[in-house]
Order: sequence, then C-alpha cells, then structure tokens
Amino acid sequence: MAYPTPTTITAITAPSAIIAVEGVSKIFNAGEADEMRALDGVTLSVAKGSMAVLKGPSGSGKTTILGIIGCMTRPTSGKVMVNGKDVAKLPEHFLTDIRRRTFGFIFQHFNLIKGITVKENIMLPLYPTSIPIHEMKERADAILESLNIYQKRNYHVEKLSGGEKQRVSIARALINNPEIILADEPTSHLDTKLSEDLMDRLSRLNGEGKTIVIATHDPLVYDKPYVNRIIEMRDGKVIGT
Amino acid sequence: MFIYSIIVATLTSLLFLTQSLKKEAMDVFIEAPELIVQRMSAGRHDLIPVGYAEKILSIPGVSSVEPRYWGYYYDNLTGGNYTLIARNIDALHMVKGTLPKGPGECAIGKGVADVRLTDLNDVLFLSINPQQKVSLKVVGIFTADSAILTNDLVVMDKNDLVNFFALPKDMATDLIVHVSNASEVPTIAMKIRRDYPDTRPITRSEIVRTYENVFNWRGGMALTMFIGPLLAFAIFAWDKATGMSAGERQEIGILKAIGWETTDVLKLKFWEGMAISLTSFLTGSILAYIHVFYFGAALFAPVLKGWSVLFPPFNPIPYIDLYQIFVIFFLTVIPYLASTIIPSWKAAVTDPDTVMRS
Amino acid sequence: MIKSKIFFSFIAIEIIVIAFLYTDANHTIAARNAEVQSKRELVRKLSLTDFAVFTEARYTRHPSQADTFSAFQDFPSSMDHFPAGSIVGPQRGNN
Repeated sequence: MAYPTPTTITAITAPSAIIAVEGVSKIFNAGEADEMRALDGVTLSVAKGSMAVLKGPSGSGKTTILGIIGCMTRPTSGKVMVNGKDVAKLPEHFLTDIRRRTFGFIFQHFNLIKGITVKENIMLPLYPTSIPIHEMKERADAILESLNIYQKRNYHVEKLSGGEKQRVSIARALINNPEIILADEPTSHLDTKLSEDLMDRLSRLNGEGKTIVIATHDPLVYDKPYVNRIIEMRDGKVIGT
Repeated sequence: MFIYSIIVATLTSLLFLTQSLKKEAMDVFIEAPELIVQRMSAGRHDLIPVGYAEKILSIPGVSSVEPRYWGYYYDNLTGGNYTLIARNIDALHMVKGTLPKGPGECAIGKGVADVRLTDLNDVLFLSINPQQKVSLKVVGIFTADSAILTNDLVVMDKNDLVNFFALPKDMATDLIVHVSNASEVPTIAMKIRRDYPDTRPITRSEIVRTYENVFNWRGGMALTMFIGPLLAFAIFAWDKATGMSAGERQEIGILKAIGWETTDVLKLKFWEGMAISLTSFLTGSILAYIHVFYFGAALFAPVLKGWSVLFPPFNPIPYIDLYQIFVIFFLTVIPYLASTIIPSWKAAVTDPDTVMRS
Repeated sequence: MIKSKIFFSFIAIEIIVIAFLYTDANHTIAARNAEVQSKRELVRKLSLTDFAVFTEARYTRHPSQADTFSAFQDFPSSMDHFPAGSIVGPQRGNN
C-alpha cells in the first residue's frame, strides 16, 4: 500500500490538526462488476476546536470520509491520523476504543434503538465501559436536562417527535464526553426551526472546545458565520477548502 | 417466545408422560409371571394343551405351572374390545365389591362398567353367537385408579370362560411357569423350547423390555410425536438464523458505531437469547407438568387413544427424570442460542458504517 | 433497569413454581406408593402382562404377547390401520 509522502506532511500533522487525512481512497466492491470508487486521494485536515463542514452533493463521498474519520470503516489506501495516531491500520479492538473515547456520532436517521427508553438509548455507549451504573444514570440525567428532554426520559423512542429524536441522538453523542462530534446530514430530517436549534447547540458545544465535523449540503448549515472551515467535495475528491 | 414455550411444553409433556408410564410399567410388571409359555401353530399364537404342564413341571427349577384362560371379546353393542380373564382369586385391594367366587359371577373394569352402564349387582350379558353366550352378575368393579391395568377386563370363572369361548377340552390360552430362582429363567425357557419346539416362552424381562421400548423417548412414540415438534423447532431456529431482519442488522450497526465491540454485541445477544430461551424453557416445563400430571395429558390422549372405545384416563405418577429434562434443555436452548448468536456475529464483524447508508 | 427486575422476578417466580412442582412430584410419588403396591398385587394375582392402553384391536391389546406379524391376523393383507401400530414397534427376539 504505497502512498506518496508529500513534503507537507509535517504541516498536516501539526499539533493543532486533530484530524488529518492523507491520500485516502476507498473502493467498494473492489474487483467486481459494481466496483465503486467512493474516495479518490482525499487529503484534508481539521484543526482542534474548529467547526468544519464537509460540503457537497450526495454521492460526493462526504459520508464515506466521515465514516473513515470516525473509525467505522477502513480506507482502501491512505493514512488517517486522529489525535496523532494512524488509525487506518489499527486492529478492530483499538478502533472501537477510539470510537468510544474520541467520537460522538449524530446520524442522519437518528439511528436510535426502538423498544427501549430514551434514557437507555443515551446510556448505550457506556454499557461496554467499566463505568458504574449509578454514574451512567447521573451522566444521562445531566445531559437530558441540558437538552431539555429530561421529562421524556422514560418514553420509548418511537413515541418521540423528530426534534426530540434529534436531541436524543445529540445526547447519545455527548455521553462519552467526546473530543470530536461527527454529524452526517443532521438537518435533513428537520424543519428550519429545528435545524437552527441544532446548529445553535452545535455551536455552543464548539464554544465549549469540541471539534465538530458536519457533512451536509444544507446552506442553513454551511452559511453559518461560526463555521470556520468548509471543505468542498465532489466525486470523491476535495475540490476546495 | 410463546411458540418456543409451546414447543418446549410439547416435548416435555411427551417426556413426562412416557417416562411416567415407563417407570410405572417397570414398577408393576416386576410382578408379572416369570415365564409365559404360548403355543405357536402356523406362525400364530394358538391354544396350548394343558398336558404340556406336566413335562414342564419336571424341569428342575420350575416350582409350579398353571394354565391361563383368557381371550378377547368384541362387543358389538359398544364397539369395545374386552379382555376376558378366568382367575379364581380371593381378594384384591383395587376392586369395589368382590371377585367372582363361582360360575355366573364376574368382576369388570371401570371402562367396561362405564360403556355398558353397569353397576354392582347388575347383569353383564356377553354373546358371540346364539350358542356362545353368558350372563354374569357383576360382583365387583375395579377401581378407577387401577384403570390403566384393568379398564377393559372382565374377570370370570374358568368354566364360564371355557364354555363361552367353547375352548376344546384340556386346552388353555397359555401356561404360566413359576420359577423359584429368577436367574434360571432363561435356561428354563430354553429347555421348554427344546422339549416343545412349538412353544414360545415369554420371560418377564421381555415383558418389561416391551414397555421400555414402547415408552422410550427414542421409540415409536417419538416417531409420531417427538419428531414433529423437533422439526418445527428446527424450522423455527433455522428461520431465525437465516432471516435476520434488516432492523436487527441496523441495531447491531448502531451499537458498533457508538463504540460497542463485536464481543459486546455478542454478549448482549447471548444474554438476550439466554433470557428468552430460559424463560421459554421454564415456562414450557411448568406447562408440561401441569398438562401431564394435573390434566392427565389431555392433549395427547386422543392420539394415544386412537380408535379405542375403552381408554383408561391417564393419571400418571410424576416420576421426573432430571436427565431427560437436561436433554430437552440441550435440544432447545443450545440450538436457539446458536441460531441467534451466529447471525449476530456475522452482522457484528462487518463495518459499522453501513448504518450510515440506510 | 426496571425490565431486568421484571425478568429476574419472573424467572424467580418460575423457579419457585418448579421447586414447588418438584416437591409436589415427590410428595405425590410417596402418597401414591400404596397405589403402586396395589397395582403390583393386581398384576401378580391376575397374572397381567400389559397395560390396558391400546384396546382398539386384539393384536394391540397385549404388545408383550403379540406375534411379530399379528397385524395380518384377521385376513391376509389386512393392514395395520390402528394408530397403536405407529406407536408400538414389532417384537424382536422372542419368536
């Protein structure tokens, strides 16, 4: 797996860059008839504490690069540095660990688990950890209060409105107290008011020092003044930063 | 889970019932005659000359030989098959009234009494043809709790039976051979066969073995009933194994994405499967116990009963064999666990980013 | 976790019920011992050899006394059309 060693590598992996992606390609179904090159030599970096937007039409590879940064899938080639560690080649066990400690995910479809309550959903990321159950509950309660859905904590998630589901998915992303929050098209199922509300919350979290990466094609997101980095993508390539 | 419980209940009911009947057979037929000698003629069970008894008696180890007179009577009136036995015995615990003390009297099973609407001191009339008929006064009725042995019996005097069946003089149905030392039974059986090649000795151990086979969980009963639910369970488990829903796959993806490891997912699925199968197993076992021992296996009775008119009510004694319960446990819980964990494992080892693409 | 409490109480109740049934079984076995003794007496005195369970045909009534091919006793090619035939296997080794 040879990749070019550009001279800029020191710049990219400078201490301020919490995420650095270098020459990353991702090919789905390699060697088969439906081979699909989702990413083609993507290089980008995100500074610690910034609020970055991956902008581009659907099919541009935003979700794929987000998945690779979030250690959910491995690149076909290239180098992915998170907090100075190359995660592309780490074994599964470490990836899970990084996923759990470093990232909070907000998914397009909320991806809440049906049949269990709001609070249980929020506590899910903590179950595999050694955190005692009473502390898990305290943390969940605190986050539920801060997001103003404490009164719905014992509802099953399928009984919630879209905005409430969005807040639950934010709460779940926050319970680990992650450094980086990754959001995939977070506003696509929300109306304008709720989208504004979400962006407010994300900017507040950004103000608290969290790095935020949002994949979107919604102007409501990338036109916000506090978005301090926009990475434009098209056809699996970065076309502007 | 409901289906699962029902399957366990069916299997366990069957085990409970067969185990109980088997144990009871072992318990009571220990008192069956040590040796019964039938005569075979043209490959069939035939009447045996009483004269054979003398020579058999002379075999060392034989303490006594007595002829047995019995036969079947098909009752046109009720469609029932009765078993007619001639025995002259004094008293029995499980009989209301007395036993026949001479010609013209009989003691009947509860089943016969019920289908013929006959009570003590009534007259039981049996007839094969205008020449062969008999009227007997019912002096005793076997108690209901003995029905499994006595339900279709009509016990009468020897002369009545011989006349009714028009048995040839000096012929009996078979001979009972009493042996003083049980370990000599096979040798004596062999000697009888040698002296009378046209006989077939049946030993007590063979009688007991018959019931071991009939009510064995691998026996004929299993073929009719055990295989059915087992197949149903296999289909059910297979269906689960192959048909993991998109929703379930998605759930596993979400859990992985938010920081669960494959082993965490498998642990969850294991405990989930364990909870379901344990609950179902316990529920099923309780249902089975109630079904078999409180309701007399009411659901199986029609199958066992077949076309019998005289069918004893089951009131099995709850002999529980823990080994068999473990067998059921392993036959149901383990495949279920495997069928839930294997597909989860398959889903859990894939990249979690697939959840972002739904 | 309320659900786990429900689950464990349910399991606990079931185990109690099973324990009860098990003692009930042992109790019943003891209580019906006299019945078993009486049945032994019946078997001994009436020299019985079989349960009166399959009374539907004369060749099913005494499985332990039957001939191997007694299903064909009534007339040639008379098939064994009774359910007992599917439950009781043929006798082996004592002809």
